[in-house]
Amino acid sequence: MSVEKDLETVEWDVGEEGHITVDNSECVDCEEKPCLHLCPAQCFDYQEEREGGIYFSYEHCIECGSCMVFCANDPDRGAVSWTKPDGGKGVEYDLG
Amino acid sequence: MVDFDVIVVGAGRAGTAAAYKLAEHGIDVALVERAKEAGMKNVTGGVLYGDVLSELVPEFPDQAPLGRHVVEHNVRILNEGTSIGISYRDPAILDEPNYTIQVGRFDQWFVKKAEEKGAVFIPETTVRDVSQRGEEVLVETDRTGGDLTCKAVVGADGVNTTVGRVAGIRETVRNENVGQSVKHVIDLDKSTINERFNLEPGEGAAYAFEGFPEGVPGLGYFLYTFESSIAVGAVASMSSLEKYGKQGYSGRGTPLYDLLDRFKELKAVKPLVEGGSTTEYQGILVPKYKYSNLPQRYDDRISLVGDAAGLTLNKGFTFRGLDFGIKSGMCAAEAAIGSDQNQDWDSFGQRYDKLLNNSYVMTEMKQHRGIPSVVENEKFFDEYPAVAREVLEHTFSTSGDASGLTWRQALRSLRKRDIKLRGVLADGWKAVRSF
Repeated sequence: MSVEKDLETVEWDVGEEGHITVDNSECVDCEEKPCLHLCPAQCFDYQEEREGGIYFSYEHCIECGSCMVFCANDPDRGAVSWTKPDGGKGVEYDLG
Repeated sequence: MVDFDVIVVGAGRAGTAAAYKLAEHGIDVALVERAKEAGMKNVTGGVLYGDVLSELVPEFPDQAPLGRHVVEHNVRILNEGTSIGISYRDPAILDEPNYTIQVGRFDQWFVKKAEEKGAVFIPETTVRDVSQRGEEVLVETDRTGGDLTCKAVVGADGVNTTVGRVAGIRETVRNENVGQSVKHVIDLDKSTINERFNLEPGEGAAYAFEGFPEGVPGLGYFLYTFESSIAVGAVASMSSLEKYGKQGYSGRGTPLYDLLDRFKELKAVKPLVEGGSTTEYQGILVPKYKYSNLPQRYDDRISLVGDAAGLTLNKGFTFRGLDFGIKSGMCAAEAAIGSDQNQDWDSFGQRYDKLLNNSYVMTEMKQHRGIPSVVENEKFFDEYPAVAREVLEHTFSTSGDASGLTWRQALRSLRKRDIKLRGVLADGWKAVRSF
């Protein structure tokens, strides 16, 4: 079972604006790029040919806050700006 | 004139316990939640150690949507093909109100109970700022005209607490103080679960697994049985995952969901989890603070409860958090009731902290303060299990290689790894004292 398939079991009511944004000019100097393996919903994507390399899609964010911890709060990183989605928007778990 | 006496932010178990108790005592309380319905944003591992909830809602075992009554605890140390375990069943634990729960369903029920007592539930509302202005606290939300005022705020908004951060109470969470967890809920029919886990109808089992793969300290897995599903998940400290990532495949690290998939394929695990389909995938962060570095949890008129206050304890074989959340919520409610009686809301936060410090939550956190360093000691999940494996192999094998006395094999295994007996005894003593 791959995580892509796992994510098909999850539902969202996607908001119009992203609650998390990435300033990918900051990503140029980030060697480890932990976002690629530490986001449990694979929201971060690496596209070598594009500036900064890192692209983020908030639509399938499961709102765990991992990227706030390993990027936004890390004094050596800081590409991620993190908030919670607007009321009623975002991930909608059934079982929890 | 304020809108409410108290505003509770976040309708998990901690926040709802606070709202329930406040409403029960006739305090005007609002429970603000960002999801459309209670429970939709909430995730847990899942065993509810229900003693403390019984104090608050004695009828809960008959009314709440619960999973199974936990009658068996299992701890297993794993390697690729090996499993060493302890299984604990005891008539003594049958009387304890401990149940597996899925909080999506449970929290809906709990919020309804708080509403019946008189709490005002305000869903679909994300809190953006909290600030004290003289005799009142302003809670700004993302709803047009949705700002609310109150005398005191209870921040029950999880490990990534907005209340704690915008009010300047808590510093931001760092890698070493937080764990990431991912989980699969897998559908299986009742009779398969009963047969597979050796359970009678309604009986449940809880499992904790450690030791796989070697070299990731503090990585653990859990499995809980529900009525007709099981939950299987992995949890690891963020700093451990980040370190492991650097040496992982293709230079990009191994995500936790891949480690969970590998775990489910292990010989000792596959027979427990196979045959069902995943109905939900979830991810969450869990606090991993030590007693010595717990974050600040109050200001004059604000208190942080549950995960927002970092109140969890990983004992390796049990994960405590749900009951700590409920108890801390009850402490916050009691503090507000005291402030109301004395018309002294500026000491609400202090009152709360005093009540929390005198509660079993902080007693347990303090008593077990050595556990985090034991759980993070790589030897416990790497070298010692390897020694145990060799000793057990020696004990149970009848081949010619396994002749000789067992204690000699133990010493051989230790020597091979350059582990001194004195170090083993010291680690063992530390572990015994912490647990």
